[in-house]
Amino acid sequence: MSDQMTARVDVDLSAGPVISRRSPLRWVLFVLGWVVALALPWFVYPPVAMDIAAWGLFAMSVDLLLGFTGLLSFGHAAFWGSSAYVTGLVAINTGWPFPLAVLAGMVFAMVIAVPIGYLSVRRTGIYFAMVTLAFAQMIYFVANQWRDLTGGENGLQGIPRNFFGIDAIETDAFYFYYVGLGLVLLGVFVAWRVVHSPFGRVLVAIRDNPARVRALGYNVERYKIVAFVISAGLAGLAGGVFAISHGFASLQELNWTTSGKVVLITVLGGIGTLWGGPVGAAIVVSLEDWLASSGFEGTGIILGAIFVVIVLLFRHGVWGTGRQFVSRMQRRRRQNARS
Amino acid sequence: MRTSTRRRRLFSAVAAAAIGSLALAACSGGSGGPQSGGSSKLTNDKIVFGLLNDQSGVYKDLSGPNSAVAIQMAIDDYKAKYGDSAVAKSIEIVQADHQNKADVANSKAQEMYDRQNADLILDVPNSAAALAVANQAKAKKKLYINVGAGTTALTGAQCNKYTFHWAYDTAMLAKGTAGTIVGGGGKSWNIVYPDYAFGQDMNKSFTAAVTAAGGSVGQSIASPFPSDNFVTFITKAGDGNPQVVGTMHAGGDLINFVKQFNQSPLKGQVQLAVGLMFITDIHSLGVDQFSGTQFTDAWYWNFDEQNKKWADRFKEKTSTRPSFAHAANYSAAMNYLEAVQASGTDDADTIVKALEGKKINDFFLRNGEVRAADHNVVHDAYLAKVKTKDQVKEDWDYEEIVKTVPAAEAYAQPDGSCKLS
Amino acid sequence: MGSFVQYTVQGLAAGGFYALAALGLAVIFGVLGVVNFSHGACYMLGAVGAAVLLDTSGLGFWSALLIVPVVMFFFGVLMERLLVQWLLRLDPLYNFLLTFGLTLLLVDLVKRRYGVSGLPYQLPAGLDGNVTIGSLSLSAYQIFACLFSLAVCVVVWAVLTKTRVGMIVRAATENSERTRALGINVTRWVTPVFGFGIALAGLAGVLAAPFRAITADMGSNFVIILFAVVVIGGLGSILGAVVGGFLVGLVEAYGQAYAPSFAQVVIFVLMAVVVLVRPSGLFGREEVA
Repeated sequence: MSDQMTARVDVDLSAGPVISRRSPLRWVLFVLGWVVALALPWFVYPPVAMDIAAWGLFAMSVDLLLGFTGLLSFGHAAFWGSSAYVTGLVAINTGWPFPLAVLAGMVFAMVIAVPIGYLSVRRTGIYFAMVTLAFAQMIYFVANQWRDLTGGENGLQGIPRNFFGIDAIETDAFYFYYVGLGLVLLGVFVAWRVVHSPFGRVLVAIRDNPARVRALGYNVERYKIVAFVISAGLAGLAGGVFAISHGFASLQELNWTTSGKVVLITVLGGIGTLWGGPVGAAIVVSLEDWLASSGFEGTGIILGAIFVVIVLLFRHGVWGTGRQFVSRMQRRRRQNARS
Repeated sequence: MRTSTRRRRLFSAVAAAAIGSLALAACSGGSGGPQSGGSSKLTNDKIVFGLLNDQSGVYKDLSGPNSAVAIQMAIDDYKAKYGDSAVAKSIEIVQADHQNKADVANSKAQEMYDRQNADLILDVPNSAAALAVANQAKAKKKLYINVGAGTTALTGAQCNKYTFHWAYDTAMLAKGTAGTIVGGGGKSWNIVYPDYAFGQDMNKSFTAAVTAAGGSVGQSIASPFPSDNFVTFITKAGDGNPQVVGTMHAGGDLINFVKQFNQSPLKGQVQLAVGLMFITDIHSLGVDQFSGTQFTDAWYWNFDEQNKKWADRFKEKTSTRPSFAHAANYSAAMNYLEAVQASGTDDADTIVKALEGKKINDFFLRNGEVRAADHNVVHDAYLAKVKTKDQVKEDWDYEEIVKTVPAAEAYAQPDGSCKLS
Repeated sequence: MGSFVQYTVQGLAAGGFYALAALGLAVIFGVLGVVNFSHGACYMLGAVGAAVLLDTSGLGFWSALLIVPVVMFFFGVLMERLLVQWLLRLDPLYNFLLTFGLTLLLVDLVKRRYGVSGLPYQLPAGLDGNVTIGSLSLSAYQIFACLFSLAVCVVVWAVLTKTRVGMIVRAATENSERTRALGINVTRWVTPVFGFGIALAGLAGVLAAPFRAITADMGSNFVIILFAVVVIGGLGSILGAVVGGFLVGLVEAYGQAYAPSFAQVVIFVLMAVVVLVRPSGLFGREEVA
């Protein structure tokens, strides 16, 4: 049982990207990604498109911790949700342009992540998950009690969307999407840079063999805390954008079911892939939206079934399985070319 | 050489596909694209009702998809009444499930107004969701008639020109129940309420009503929300030997509370007053556990012949009896259509003017009036008592109406916190 | 009427019930290393099962106490054979996620089939009174539920410590490799133990039916409390689950009595403190970092 206590996430990651840098497939995916991100509000109701982007970033923040550092946080809603509230409160009370409000939310999330991270990283595996859950429940409780500030069950309503008085962005969800997307992409860029950096390499090493990393002289706890705070900041950025998009922040954003949903999205997309986050978010958010309007009475059945199937058969998620397939194809082609 | 050609072909194929699908989507218009604003004048030559409620959670049976059936009945009756001279020839219903979440309600309301061209949103149980939709109605300048939620804030601090509160509110529940019970001798109360906005609202309303009727509230005990273990709170409620214990819980919490109350020593010693109870709660807990409990109901299907006739029609279509929410949704939809008929347009401001101050008498609203001051729709309420098992003649025949509380008595006067704009 | 002693007794009564529910969770984690998120859903299925049994065949509470856990045992076996076993060799995260998905599925299936308003269930005849000793007053059913839970916990403990089967299970928990090396077929016991854990969840559900609302969601928040119980007591420790259950019951009762606004969060504060100070919980084994 002792070896089950440590979290060693079963993901096949090599040190670098699986798809070789010079492969045109990478460029195709890169272009495709931009095309989809920019064209999304044409295909999909713009507020839903913004949701996909926000949840995508949220999932990436979870993946940063889970796939790259080996820590499953079951309380990440604490950062998404508290940033949503702080963003809302700043927007309501100061009238600043909303990117500043989102920044405030993000900073708040990072600030509370420091003590939480400091305490939590002493444990690993399921214990880490339980501690993060416990802290998230405490924050939920505080938000519920402090209803003069947060509105309690009613939620924080009427969050304005100020943007230098540019009417199109302030009132039309379509144009707002592009500004919101810009903020989200900043977060995506940070996540990508962290992963493809020496710091990121140390995280992966910690994930695979913390004892060895410690023996090499690295302060494992400090790396984990930094990763935790960055992840919290990204989750906060996503949560702030979400709040501005909806004009609304509710206790649901701090609920453990939200923590569960983002883990579901991350696993669906693929742990340790980073880009699995947006893919998983697109699937789950679109599915939920479609099911809610279709009158079908079994959202949980569909989502639960998909989840069970993914965990059993496609553990590496959509992106991960796709990546495995591509690398296998490339290997075969290389073998054929050689023979 | 061969491989690089293949790679180039792959690249161009994928790029072409991407651009192609993009162009296709742009041409088809999709469901996205920039939204246009603008008001409606029998927009798109049709009326669209947006039914937004809980279709999968605890309030599904209270209102849920069957309210769409009720609204359709209103549409059919309207068309039958006016035939060819009907102003609204094409009437649609769109539905969405807000899953009892205020943020989902917020998004869905926005979507209904913008994307689905809803002229009127109906129902919306759950006070937090109800308030969120009120904000959307105000922003989009479109009508919203709330049936399912109880919060007085809808006609108080959070009121607005486009929002109407049709069926009940917490003050009405308090005045009816508290007044009757205090009048019947239950003067000393302890209240247990769930510690969130609705519960606090109920606690305030009931404390005021009990005191106004000549009684007194010894303790107001807050219980965490949600919860399924109330044993300690029930014990606390027994402190000081009150005559009445009032529970302000709703839904699953109420069922837990009553189940545990009936097992505690307080049963039989102390009278149980229920702040908010729906006929669906009685159905799910069983008549036995609630027998004798008194509560205020906005409408009961078996009250008189007029109600029963409508309930029979409803039963034919749904195989079950209607709750007050189904009847209220019918009434709201019907009266909206009548207003459209009378004004010849579905312009929101015109309809608002047509409804304000209107006196209405249909099978749901008895002696009803749409108050101009706060858009609260007052009407007669009913003090109901839960029957004993042998009194029940058919499924859903659970209530005995003890007293009709006239509209003027049932509702509180507007307290001035509403500034209609 | 409310007094410290009264609240203590009520806390213990509720605690016994938590202990029983957590017992199955602890057993499953101890032997299989599976963090069974669906424990709450299985608890719900037990309660629903009791209500459905009454509704369709008229069999009451006492029959339900026997029949429902047996049915849940086979349900657990099915779950293990079809789903859980494939992920046992991987990080516990995967089975945690699997059971999380399974929960969503089960809850929604129950909602579709039985609706959302809850199912009725009465107190069993003979247990619907109150027992008064001096100034204390407790419902008879609560006393029964507490004593019954305690009895089951004692029986399980006895089986684990006094029988050969129990010895194998405990050895497998401590070190499955060495146990296997001794020639014992550990794998053979994995499935029945899992089934047994699920059966315990179902049993707790049947016990809950008379005094909790029987809804599809009844297990959702309950499972979070159960995690707190098991973490506090020590993941994998039977004694820990029992003591943790009673402790949480007491904490909840005192919290509700003296600081109701904090009642809900106290348990999580306790959970965080335990994990940080003594992560193996009160009775668990030391964690190997």
